Amino acid sequence: MKVSLNWLKEFVEIPVEPRRLKADLIGVGLNVESFAEAGDDCIFEIEVTTNRPDCLSHYGTAREIATLYRRRLKRLEFNLREAGAPASGEASIEILNPELCTRYCGRVIKGVEVKPSPDWLKQRLEAIGQRPINNVADITNYVLMELGHPLHAFDLSRLEDHRIVVRRAQAGEQLRTLDGVDRTLGSNDLVIADAVRPVALAGVMGGEDSEISSSTRTVLLESAWFEPVSIRRTSKLHGMHTEASHRFERGADIEMAPRALDRAAGLIVQLAGGEILRGVLDVYPAPRPRNPIVLRRSEVQRIMGTEVSWEEIERSLRGLGFEVERRGTDGWRVMPPSFRLDVSSEIDLIEEAARHFGYNRLPSRVKPAPPRIIGSRAREVELRVSDILVEIGYREIIPSPMVDPEENARFTDRPPVVVANPLSQDASAMRSSAIPSMVRTLKWNLDRYRNDLSLSELGKIYTTRAEGLPEEKRVLTLGSTGHRQPASVHGEEKRLDFFDLKGDVEELLGAFEMPGLTFEPSGGGYHEQGLGGRFVAGGATVALLGRLKEDLARQYKLRQEVWLAEIDFDLLLKTPLRHPSFKPISKFPPVERDFSLIVPETATYSSLEAAVRGLGLEETQSILPVERRRSEELAAGTIPKGHVSLLLRITFQSPTHTLASEEVEAASRRVVEALEPLGVRIRT
Amino acid sequence: MTIDEKVRKTLKELEAKTPDEVNNLFAGVIAAVESERQKLVTRGTADESERERLAKELRDRWLARKSGIISSIDECWLKTAPKELKPAVGRAFNELRKASAVLETNELLKAIPLKRRGKRQGELIFSADAGTSKMGGRDLTLPGYRRPLGSVHPVTQVMREIEDIFLGLGFSIESGPEIESVYYNFEALNIPESHPARDDWDTLYVNSQVLLRTHTSPVQIRAMEKHGAPLYIICPGKCYRHDNPDSTHATMFHQVEGLAVDTDISFADLKGTLDFFARKFFGEKIRTNFFPSFFPFTEPSGDLAISCVFCEGKGCRVCKESGWVEVMGCGMVHPEVLRHGGIDPGRYSGWAFGLGVERFAMMKYDINDIQLFHQGDARFLEQF
Repeated sequence: MKVSLNWLKEFVEIPVEPRRLKADLIGVGLNVESFAEAGDDCIFEIEVTTNRPDCLSHYGTAREIATLYRRRLKRLEFNLREAGAPASGEASIEILNPELCTRYCGRVIKGVEVKPSPDWLKQRLEAIGQRPINNVADITNYVLMELGHPLHAFDLSRLEDHRIVVRRAQAGEQLRTLDGVDRTLGSNDLVIADAVRPVALAGVMGGEDSEISSSTRTVLLESAWFEPVSIRRTSKLHGMHTEASHRFERGADIEMAPRALDRAAGLIVQLAGGEILRGVLDVYPAPRPRNPIVLRRSEVQRIMGTEVSWEEIERSLRGLGFEVERRGTDGWRVMPPSFRLDVSSEIDLIEEAARHFGYNRLPSRVKPAPPRIIGSRAREVELRVSDILVEIGYREIIPSPMVDPEENARFTDRPPVVVANPLSQDASAMRSSAIPSMVRTLKWNLDRYRNDLSLSELGKIYTTRAEGLPEEKRVLTLGSTGHRQPASVHGEEKRLDFFDLKGDVEELLGAFEMPGLTFEPSGGGYHEQGLGGRFVAGGATVALLGRLKEDLARQYKLRQEVWLAEIDFDLLLKTPLRHPSFKPISKFPPVERDFSLIVPETATYSSLEAAVRGLGLEETQSILPVERRRSEELAAGTIPKGHVSLLLRITFQSPTHTLASEEVEAASRRVVEALEPLGVRIRT
Repeated sequence: MTIDEKVRKTLKELEAKTPDEVNNLFAGVIAAVESERQKLVTRGTADESERERLAKELRDRWLARKSGIISSIDECWLKTAPKELKPAVGRAFNELRKASAVLETNELLKAIPLKRRGKRQGELIFSADAGTSKMGGRDLTLPGYRRPLGSVHPVTQVMREIEDIFLGLGFSIESGPEIESVYYNFEALNIPESHPARDDWDTLYVNSQVLLRTHTSPVQIRAMEKHGAPLYIICPGKCYRHDNPDSTHATMFHQVEGLAVDTDISFADLKGTLDFFARKFFGEKIRTNFFPSFFPFTEPSGDLAISCVFCEGKGCRVCKESGWVEVMGCGMVHPEVLRHGGIDPGRYSGWAFGLGVERFAMMKYDINDIQLFHQGDARFLEQF
């Protein structure tokens, strides 16, 4: 909201320069974003929080300033000269829905001449960003900006029977509002109607038909108080946000209604001529009671952390319009003013006291939490995994999990969580697979000529559930493409292949205590047939990994193959981290034995290794496949068709003694025997 | 009979009279080729020059023009073969020549691995060019051979730094769902639908009761329900807003929420703890300033500003000439919110704060566009 310094000065003396005023207002919670000199005036731009509609006016702002600098706030006194017949003879007001309109005040002014406003008024309005229209409309606007209470002026001659009926609209009723839009109303909309039809959308905008025009002679001035919730509903429903609705939905000052009316009526007679008919038409069937609030000194101290003097609290609250009555040594009985609907409990009063005491005057202390022994298990796992990922070369990414649901469906059958009001189709669902985000990020980089990439994301996937909130699962995604090692003076290039990805996943899973972890060569549906696999433990898939299918890669217009893995992070969180447990280091030398094997292609390496490990030979330190060649790669006749040659290196070492050659021979024989059932033969 | 002896005898001396017997004979030779080669490959060597020597020896043993095994077979088996066996011997001999191509020096050099360590104890590896690569030679000014490291995202780095400060103060970490109920995101936090304050959070909805959380504050209620008081927690996580993306707005961003609830907590604790935190994060020289603000879930509410890190409070573009930059919202937990969390506000009080992690990272690293955090551009990531 824009506030004029000169205007403020009509209500309060301001003893400081604008710059200082800005800082001081910020200090009491009126967020002055900027100020600008304008001629002999200075215009402040103030961001008023939603709880302070009383500050959406010059008078309200002046009240804060008066309290701040301990100055007197000018009292509002409007002495009107009424004349002629009683207003009640000219117009009538009826409230049919008092639950939505608590008070409706009206005055009738006869014989006005509608014309442009005088310069001073135009300039005042223009200075704070308001467009002048005509003297009557400008005056309602002026009073709104001055006192914060929205008014509306009707051309009384346009009101059927000169009646005002405040009622709910009938479903389907029509009203063309001042902005020229024809609106169809519903029964939740409160309208001001005449004897026949709606003439204004209550508290939001007037109707075009009863608008003040140059031919208007008699004005009915409205000053009412509408239920905030209802105004908010109507304003949202019709997408209309006006100065009036802005204030009514935050809560206007019900006691200000007749006073703002008097202020405006006086100005109209002054600037547009005419006479004010006698009496205010004030329909206020059930005055709203306000309840006093008990404020305890002990509570002030408990929350503010310091003792504040009786006098200081009283001065602040009284300055802000509260009635304050001391009650013994305990505290006060406080009656909040009608313009502070935001204050209804003790804590609200403490905030008022603290604001004007000054947050920066409050004491400061650092109070740590009681020390705890158990840390965050999830964080420990996250840090360990993050460390490994950095060590093996993955850069972390944090893409938004909002995706296009159709794209998401390429990678999973799980339904994503669709957003009802998305900003775009591209981001209209919470993903149920993290793969699209990863592929998109790889593509973003490939399209920018970054060809060697290893990226990781620790994020979530989301899916709908029959009941309750959607399911959220944590998932670690790896994506890589290009070279493991580009060509350089130091060596030849090496492109990433399946085993680079598999090795990375093994490295990660190796940090966990995961007995019975096995690999199966069948990946996710988006993986290339024959180039995808999964790690399984205890019947659950821990990780899926492989190469992105060619047709998908083409759909994404990727320039090269990409490798993708997804790891169930929730499962990792449930799995203990490998706890190092020291085993004595053998003092005795290791012995390597090479086994040159002929293996049927149908026998997988993992079955061979399992067979050897299944022997449970204590001396087996490591098993390493050194070379594997298919029969086609070898000279004809070297090994039979449908077989591969495999060089297996096993290291034997005993923790207790130097292995004798007979022992090694015996162990080697057992290895060969264990492999025979798999169709494996030793090459001679 | 060794292979060397065999190839110096004629077929007749070897008693190979039928084509089958000839083929068996040749198969044995091919197996020998493979096994001798395999031995070298398996053995490897630690030394480049030794590798060359070994490869040459094996090659010469088999393929040398005059004395190689292949030429002996040519001399002794092929040339002396009886007429009726000639075609079979010729075919087998051609197969052998093909098979023995793997013994060419170049092929062998490729196959024999260079090993780092000697296998025999006491053998010192110290070849002429050990420690420098083949192509690099001895120009030590060439760049080193680097193993590529990964990197931690700057948002994660900042989040961890924030977590570490509060973990050091004994706080623990809590989390909650990102797809949240309207109740936890708004109602329990004193933000009824009917209040205009609701409009301060532009919200993405799943349906009328479920939304993408607009802040990490719902974790406050969940943690109070779960743990009761006393409670000292921070809650980092993703949040979502119905905001069109630009350089300062993102649909998804991260917040860290902090909450302390205990029997003797006042605004002084809020000030002291957040001042400590801000100076620990931004540097001990910065000053902090608290001023009143409004959040429905705290009262009294405040904003914390720090002296501008760019101009040290003198006034610049970043701080809009004010010398101060707002960094987070905070306040004393509203009694209604404590009640919603099942905590008696008569006995307990608390303070809370919420901050934007991307914003902190932007200030810390002087980043001018929030979109950079979520694009995953390697040129951005590798700077951290």
